[in-house]
Amino acid sequence: MDTFSFIVAGIMVYIAVAVFIGGVIYQITVWFRAPKSSVRLGLFPRPNTKTGRFFKVLKDSFIFPQSYSVDKATWIFAIVFHGALLVILLAHFRLVREFTPLVKLIGLEGMDTLSALGGKTLGIIIIFPVLFYLFRRFITPHKDLSVPEDYFLVIILISIIAFGDHLRFFADFHVADYREYVQSLLVFKPYYPEAIANSSARIVLSLHVMFVNILIIYFPFSKLMHIVGTFAANKVRSD
Amino acid sequence: MDNENREALKKVLKAKVNRQLLYYLDLCARCSICKDACHQYNVTKDVLYLPAYRAELIRRIYKKYYSPIGRIFPKFYEGKDIDDEKLLDELYTATYACTGCRRCMYFCPFSIDTTWILGVAKEILNAAGRGCSILEELTNASIEKGKSIDLYKDIMIEVLKDTEKELQEKTGDKNASLPIEKEGADILYVALAGIHTIMPAAIIFHEAKKDWTLSLFEAANYGYFLGDSSKAKEIAARIVNEAKELKVKEVIITECGHAYRVMNFLYEAWAKEKLPFKVTGIVEAISSYIDNGEIKVNEGSFKEPITYHDPCQVGRNAGFFDEPRKIMNIVAADFREMTPNREKNWCCGGGGGLVANPEFEDFRLKTGKLKIDQIKETGAHAIVSPCENCRLQLDNLNQKHGLKLEIKSLMDFVVDAMPLPGNL
Repeated sequence: MDTFSFIVAGIMVYIAVAVFIGGVIYQITVWFRAPKSSVRLGLFPRPNTKTGRFFKVLKDSFIFPQSYSVDKATWIFAIVFHGALLVILLAHFRLVREFTPLVKLIGLEGMDTLSALGGKTLGIIIIFPVLFYLFRRFITPHKDLSVPEDYFLVIILISIIAFGDHLRFFADFHVADYREYVQSLLVFKPYYPEAIANSSARIVLSLHVMFVNILIIYFPFSKLMHIVGTFAANKVRSD
Repeated sequence: MDNENREALKKVLKAKVNRQLLYYLDLCARCSICKDACHQYNVTKDVLYLPAYRAELIRRIYKKYYSPIGRIFPKFYEGKDIDDEKLLDELYTATYACTGCRRCMYFCPFSIDTTWILGVAKEILNAAGRGCSILEELTNASIEKGKSIDLYKDIMIEVLKDTEKELQEKTGDKNASLPIEKEGADILYVALAGIHTIMPAAIIFHEAKKDWTLSLFEAANYGYFLGDSSKAKEIAARIVNEAKELKVKEVIITECGHAYRVMNFLYEAWAKEKLPFKVTGIVEAISSYIDNGEIKVNEGSFKEPITYHDPCQVGRNAGFFDEPRKIMNIVAADFREMTPNREKNWCCGGGGGLVANPEFEDFRLKTGKLKIDQIKETGAHAIVSPCENCRLQLDNLNQKHGLKLEIKSLMDFVVDAMPLPGNL
């Protein structure tokens, strides 16, 4: 591993994961240590039963149907972005180990086809909402509302996606090589296998990992905590 | 401003930090879905009235003092000091212009309650000596009046004597009375300044044969609009104490949105005590009297096309959607819904103390445009709304736009449909 890669795709990964986990726990602790106001801030109509409220929280958090009725464009981009992101994240676990049940179902070749087609499609689809997130910040009223954090996060996301897509479309190393790299991380001896180390796309992988690290290091202190906090906040709505 | 002042204001903010507020300040993604939810932004297109921006003003202070990164790099969040003049100026308008309708909360994917955040803003503004002076005068006047209630009691008794006669004529019962300070009564009815909020309720209680007594105090709470929770509590406490002294079982609040919110949702949290009586809105009470057959109304007796405006504090923020509609459908021959309605209803534009505040008069009339358009679309000649605030705003809009609408309270609407000797 070259020095740059060793720092950003090696050591930094551990720091990032540690900060991410510690930071999220810290942030949740801050929330729960603050006294909860006894004022019921719920909106009506609201479900009368606990089960009803539970499902309403899930519905409000995952599909927020009210938002669709007032701003369709933002809602559609949000659903596409978060949906694509979720599937992409899950698919990355194939780089840790093979999804055995799925292999049994469609065979190893089927897996490669699914991964190639699915990965390429989602890799392109996710670009659109992110560009929407970026460009809307240049027009009023979003411009006046935005703070540097907003631009920073979108730029980080775009970088991750751009380098990720580059790897998906152009890199000459494949799932087995990634798996070897991930395994090396898991045993705390990070290295790039030969196929990656000798590839000109090596730097792209290093940059992809670096921007992910930056994102997850910043995550607990950012508005991205909405992914964690949305359930609690939407519960207040049904109180 | 000096450092001491800044520290004092920071303490005000710190005292107001609670879990709900932290969610709201930490989670907003500035997605602006709320922009089209707010009638004020919708009409003005001024970012100052965009709900997320109003909240952002408080968030900028919070980030500077509380966020681990904001403390080191405040610019990253456009962090501002709590005594920043420009920020406080913007905050004043953004905050006191808000009607507290919480329509933005309804549409927000994280259910961020902008009104709750602006409640904190009001406490900061008040502590900085920048609270709304008109609302402050009204608040203080209200508190003073409460202190010297014996002075007002005599005037009140005089006025009530005349009203009592009218009540007797209307009901055809020579013994009909308007009781005040009646110990052991079941119900304490809290009205507003103005016989129009007492008379129809008196008729309804009389016909339903309720054991009731009239509160010496008015329901309106300017302290709540001002956003000074200790003064708001003081104003509400007068009614609570009266109810306790008279040992009533139920306090019924007249058609006044925020008064019901204060009594039913906020007071217990402010006073940290459990109220020993039930708090009911008059809408709910009338609805149950009709259900139980305690009062009779003539079906379909209101012939003109009529619509119903959901006051935010009665509908979205309290849950009474079906009760008023049931009454409308019984009494009106031609009841027409506005679109959108119920929990998505547009605010009239006059809530949050705006109708009492000349400073925002032009603004509230301008931003009432959506409401007027909605009403026009129904083609109704009359409108019912069980909130004094809404009715004042609707009345102003009515005059401004020359709509010739008849604006009615739900109580009047019901009383007019009752088979009373005085109605014949």
